[in-house]
Amino acid sequence: MKKLLIHIILILTAFIIYFLQSNFFNWFTIAGIMPNLFVIFTLFIGLFASKMMGTIYGMVIGLFLDVIFREKIGVSFIALGLVGFLATIFDKNFSKDSRMTIMLMTAGLTIVYEVIVYFANYFILGTNLEIFAFLKILLIEVIFNLLLTIIIYPLLQKFGYYMENEFKGNKILTRYF
Amino acid sequence: MYRNHKTGILGIVITIILLILIVVFSNGENNASFFENVASKLVMPVQNGLTYLKNKISGNDTFFTDINKLKEENEQLLAKNSELEQSLRELENIKTENETLKEYMNLTEKYGEYKTIPAYVINRDISNYSKTIVINVGTNDGVKEDMTVIGDQGLVGHIVSVTDTTAKVQTIIDTASSVSATMSSTDETIVCKGTLESTTELKAMYIPTDYNIIQGDSIETSGLGGIYPKGIHIGTVKQVEATKNVTDRYAVIETAVDFDKLSTVLVITN
Repeated sequence: MKKLLIHIILILTAFIIYFLQSNFFNWFTIAGIMPNLFVIFTLFIGLFASKMMGTIYGMVIGLFLDVIFREKIGVSFIALGLVGFLATIFDKNFSKDSRMTIMLMTAGLTIVYEVIVYFANYFILGTNLEIFAFLKILLIEVIFNLLLTIIIYPLLQKFGYYMENEFKGNKILTRYF
Repeated sequence: MYRNHKTGILGIVITIILLILIVVFSNGENNASFFENVASKLVMPVQNGLTYLKNKISGNDTFFTDINKLKEENEQLLAKNSELEQSLRELENIKTENETLKEYMNLTEKYGEYKTIPAYVINRDISNYSKTIVINVGTNDGVKEDMTVIGDQGLVGHIVSVTDTTAKVQTIIDTASSVSATMSSTDETIVCKGTLESTTELKAMYIPTDYNIIQGDSIETSGLGGIYPKGIHIGTVKQVEATKNVTDRYAVIETAVDFDKLSTVLVITN
């Protein structure tokens, strides 16, 4: 029952993030560049929820974004799925109590996601390769994501551990070793 | 990490303030003018009153000495007035002439020959790397794939997919978009592509070496390629970048449509 409630909350959060991203962050930008909240969201699910949930949520959100905005389906689907998968790997190997590790993960995964999406589009759609413009946008986006992670970290942690208790139950002891 | 709870909250507050400051200052003029507006609204009534008072007081002592001057000025102004009236009549003539000429050239019918459906932009892209928009008309309104979308100033893009009530539009500033265009003065064809760097500029590449590109020249769609009809305004040539190799040169084209403020568009249906 509680698990169902958590799933509903997560889906609602995804929609809220979508509306934030398409309205609020369209004008609340750093030099015209938006953050990418979906990467943070997928990372959060991958870190705290059960094993496959990060990957599945990443794929579903990616598919949703593809359907709404892209011409070809599959790029965000694969990229966000990979982000969720990497997050579950991070969950096994790193502590989640430190703000710094979460920040580094956010930066790393944002870079992974955007590089995959950009180069996939380059190969599929045949756009011009503009490395410097791309790097500039990527850098600002990573900084924006980091600032947002710092702000919402306490919320992430509180809700995250609540979720972890529900999904992982007795396996949670591994956290202390 | 933050054992002390207070330090943690302080950190978050500082980050929020920092983020807002970065956003405000990085976006330059727009926000600056917003703050200017607020500031001027606060100060203006007082300032107006003070200026009014000052003018009243300082105007008093000059009132009597200026009568002679005023008479002279009056005569001058009367003469000028009749002169202006004459030129106004002349301008009126030119205006009517201009209108008949325009009709002659069928300029008014240029966009009239297309059937259009008005639409609102209901969604903008959430990614930094592509510039797709979603509009609120779909197959129910008779919109199909590959139809051309224009704004009040010029070309916006074309429709890449439709649902019953919405349609996805790939704008011409998207990096995956390329439009075949002609220059108005020379009738030569170039290809305009979207860039990552700017939301107001296109890049015209692969320009043949014998082409003359003139700064400020107006650019229109050429009708080649089958998606866009001929003769829709795209923008003007902002600058021509010469490189060492003539074949590498490119031109920067400023779009007529302001994509940041785009809210209503027209879909051409025939």
